[in-house]
Amino acid sequence: MSYYFVSIGGTGAKVMESLTHLCIAGLLPENERLYITAIDPDVGNGNLERTSTALNNFDVFQNFSVGNDTKLFKNKISIVRPFPWNPTGHDKTLDDLTEYHQHSKTVGKLYEVLYTRQERSTTLNEGFRGHPSIGAAVLAKNFDDGSKWRTLTEQIEKTISEGDSVKIFLAGSVFGGTGAAGLPTVARMLRNNLADYANKISIGGVLILPYFSFTPEDVKDELFARSENFLPNTKAALRYYAERENLFDATYFVGDNVMTPVGEFSVGSSNQRNEAHVVELYAAMAAIDFFARPITAPKVFKYICRHEREKFSWNDFPISAATFVQFARFIFAYVQLIKPVLSDLVSGDAKAYKYPWFVDLLGGVNVTEPEAVNFNFYAEAFAAWLKQIETLNGREVFLINPSMFEANPARLLDKKLFATCDGTNSKVTLHEVWYRLTEPTKYDSTVKGFGKFLRRLYDACAAN
Amino acid sequence: MNRNTRTIVKIFIIAAVTIACVALAYYLGANITGHKLAAASDNMSYTRWLEKYFELTRAAGLLNGLCALGWFTAARFLFTVDEAVGAGKRIFWLGLLAISAAITLGVAHFYAPILGIKLNGIIFALYGIIFTGVGYWLLTIFTTPLAFKYTPLGAQLIGRRGI
Repeated sequence: MSYYFVSIGGTGAKVMESLTHLCIAGLLPENERLYITAIDPDVGNGNLERTSTALNNFDVFQNFSVGNDTKLFKNKISIVRPFPWNPTGHDKTLDDLTEYHQHSKTVGKLYEVLYTRQERSTTLNEGFRGHPSIGAAVLAKNFDDGSKWRTLTEQIEKTISEGDSVKIFLAGSVFGGTGAAGLPTVARMLRNNLADYANKISIGGVLILPYFSFTPEDVKDELFARSENFLPNTKAALRYYAERENLFDATYFVGDNVMTPVGEFSVGSSNQRNEAHVVELYAAMAAIDFFARPITAPKVFKYICRHEREKFSWNDFPISAATFVQFARFIFAYVQLIKPVLSDLVSGDAKAYKYPWFVDLLGGVNVTEPEAVNFNFYAEAFAAWLKQIETLNGREVFLINPSMFEANPARLLDKKLFATCDGTNSKVTLHEVWYRLTEPTKYDSTVKGFGKFLRRLYDACAAN
Repeated sequence: MNRNTRTIVKIFIIAAVTIACVALAYYLGANITGHKLAAASDNMSYTRWLEKYFELTRAAGLLNGLCALGWFTAARFLFTVDEAVGAGKRIFWLGLLAISAAITLGVAHFYAPILGIKLNGIIFALYGIIFTGVGYWLLTIFTTPLAFKYTPLGAQLIGRRGI
């Protein structure tokens, strides 16, 4: 079995960010490889950029030799390139992409009726700007051509030819431009292109319903998404899925009854850097749920509720709290106990006798190699992501006690909360982690180097 | 070996080594220079000198053993490390080493006249080597709790330890 995740548009990219963190934390079922790809005409999108950073960090350090009998880093990730796939190219308008002037007069007139002059003449570098009608036309045409998209389908065919089954999960919003246009188009394309392997493939999708709002500023006559259109767009999209076509074997619906205002409005590009949101985390958990389903399971439509209106807690999250909390402790123990002295220990500025774990586990290990350095970056990215998830405009999201830590740079605010960071009593204090790190443990010969140290730290953060 | 068992074993080792140090210091002192010191002491038979010397050695040895046990107890139950800069505690260990040396030599220097026995440089050297050297320094290298296992000077040279 192999897992494929296709993010579509900016919201899909943010789901991919959450899924990346959950995957690194070992929350995906089994030890299967996760192939990731993204479709976004706005390749400079700040959200996608942040996700790419987390992915690329993991891509570098996922080869740590932590052993095969641990959840840590158990699911390897492969990035399917081109990443992201840009279906529009650079500085192209809808007119350019549809080759409008080459069409017959009748088709041309129809085209002019369906799309306004502004829709036809706006460059699509920042995406489809909340207009799924543009996205649908562009994506359908490009998928018919298929040249750039072939990498993904070839990869899937290769996996299947090796006797494997494939689960493909698509994520995108139904209220914006790229996601709303891409979800049904990509699902249909995959169904058609891989029709010969229908019994070896399962396709799932999360349809993300509106969960944020914004107030446009200084964009004058520019074409852009408007949050007041989100609900009508969603209504139309859901009607489409209900009445016309649903190509997903499992369809997940995730949204929020409160529209969280985004900090600063941006049409797109690198300025569009919205904070992570609990809805995206739920969408990532939907992917995990889908990957855990048997490939022959009957078609389902899923949604989820929470226990309290103003609060999200572990009672509401359908993933393993123990695994996530152990991983979070592992990251913050690293940030608190290891990272501040690691470079000093390597340079000899810190006394090694104070740090038995360094003498025992890192003697002779080059901790300045790119893999180890990337882990530092990743720890920062995880803390920042978690902080953003838990900052929900006055509502409480409790994965890890928000009072315990701060991000950018990541650090513990209250060390005493480390043991009870998930709201339950545990004996895993920072000192306990320190102590466990120094205790002898036997691993098999595949566990070595910096990976062995991380494995030891991860195991030291277990609740029992 | 779990942590509690390890703690009990180490306390037992500290007690056993302390007793062994007392026995060794007594045996060596009595045989190397006991007769000479007994003769030099006023109105003191060798047997009587041995009784007094044993009392002195026992006092010095047990007080020194308390230093080793004090380090173990502090490192095992009192010190906590919850940030990278708080680790080590070598100053504390060195302080106890100094106290161990002061006790060893101080007891010999001040308690021997009270007991009415004379000592010489060999006894002071034996006490220093056996009590402070073996009964504190070497003993703490092997019994320090794992969180501080390389804090005693020379612990890293002796090698990585698991227990």
